[in-house]
Amino acid sequence: MIGNRPVSKTLKEYARGITGGLLFSFPLLYTMEVWWAGFSATPLQLLMLVVVTYLLLLGYNRYAGMRPGVSWRSVMIDSVEEMGIGLVLSFAVLLVLNRIQLTDMVLSSEMMGKVIIEAMVVSIGVSIGTAQLGSDIEEEDNEKLEEEKRPGRLGMIVLAFCGALLIGGNVAPTEEVVMLAVEAEPVHILLMALASLLLSVVVVYFSDFKGTAAKVSDDLLFWLTFDTCVSYLVALLASAFALWFFGRFDNVSFWTAFSQTIVLGVLSSLGASAGRLLIK
Amino acid sequence: MNKHTDKGRDSENKDDEKNWLEWLVFAVSLLLLLGIFGYLGYQVKTYDPTDPKVFAKARHDPSEEAPNRYQVTITNKGGTTAEEVISEFILYSNGEEKEKSELQIAFSPKDSKREGWVTFSGEPAASDSVVARVKSFKKP
Repeated sequence: MIGNRPVSKTLKEYARGITGGLLFSFPLLYTMEVWWAGFSATPLQLLMLVVVTYLLLLGYNRYAGMRPGVSWRSVMIDSVEEMGIGLVLSFAVLLVLNRIQLTDMVLSSEMMGKVIIEAMVVSIGVSIGTAQLGSDIEEEDNEKLEEEKRPGRLGMIVLAFCGALLIGGNVAPTEEVVMLAVEAEPVHILLMALASLLLSVVVVYFSDFKGTAAKVSDDLLFWLTFDTCVSYLVALLASAFALWFFGRFDNVSFWTAFSQTIVLGVLSSLGASAGRLLIK
Repeated sequence: MNKHTDKGRDSENKDDEKNWLEWLVFAVSLLLLLGIFGYLGYQVKTYDPTDPKVFAKARHDPSEEAPNRYQVTITNKGGTTAEEVISEFILYSNGEEKEKSELQIAFSPKDSKREGWVTFSGEPAASDSVVARVKSFKKP
């Protein structure tokens, strides 16, 4: 049904979305390993990436940025819009950067791969940008909104996954992760894992629990441990997914794959704990 | 897109209302996405992960500064990408091998063409032909 929302307001939201999309995805649009992944990834991997991104957008749009009252139908429509904008933006930027050429074979797998991979990152940025950049609502309303959209445990897991992928995804395709992983001794990997956990504890404690400590003092230790564990596990899962996607697990030993996951996990855990607070 | 910036949040139904621009963007986005799914679905069905089949071709393409210059095309007709492709070009004169030249490209994706140039010393008139071959490549 056609509503009477002012077009100017819609345009403003699109502008925010486009700004956010570019803000979060420019590092990856300028990373050659991501272009290479565009033609190295199999069609099935690309298909999975599109599906996972859509699910992430559904989760993000459901648990952050929007009111709980909004229907799933709206969430699904918005997620499709964000992916569409992501595809157009990705195509335009890659064209301007001369990473794809219109004179090439039309719809070559190389061109499609590059556009699809970059578009998925851009669409997450579009979603976050729309929700986070600028706001028309008054402060009082804003406080109410914050209260309304405080997500539950499942919501926090979804946001943690989004945050981990957003922060870790920028580094996952680079050769540096492999280099750090293969040159590290087991003690370094252990220290990285401990550092990630420590970072998660600090962020979770000072953000989620500070101020509410009195209310939950009985269960504080339990919830702090629970949140930290969940946050770190989600971060490792997101790291492993990103590394697998960029072919970093192909023909390597379990230890190398594990080390890479822990190396990337340092960033991803910060993304899962701090990132989810920034984007919620 | 997220509509949390509206006033009047008390009306939940209002959040679900969309104007013509939003429906237009949604329709175009949906078409694009369906197109992507269709394309990827087709690719998944017809995916043939055969080894890269890379070959090189050279054609005489003289310039003012380099009269014995050849334009080189590296094509991959295989099912997967080839990395670190090294091609060799041998210039023959009177049936004898006279000079060699090499070209290295980082990647040759499947169904793609990469262009480059190799130059030889001497006069073009003194040479018969150039034989092109791919020396080596690896899987990414």
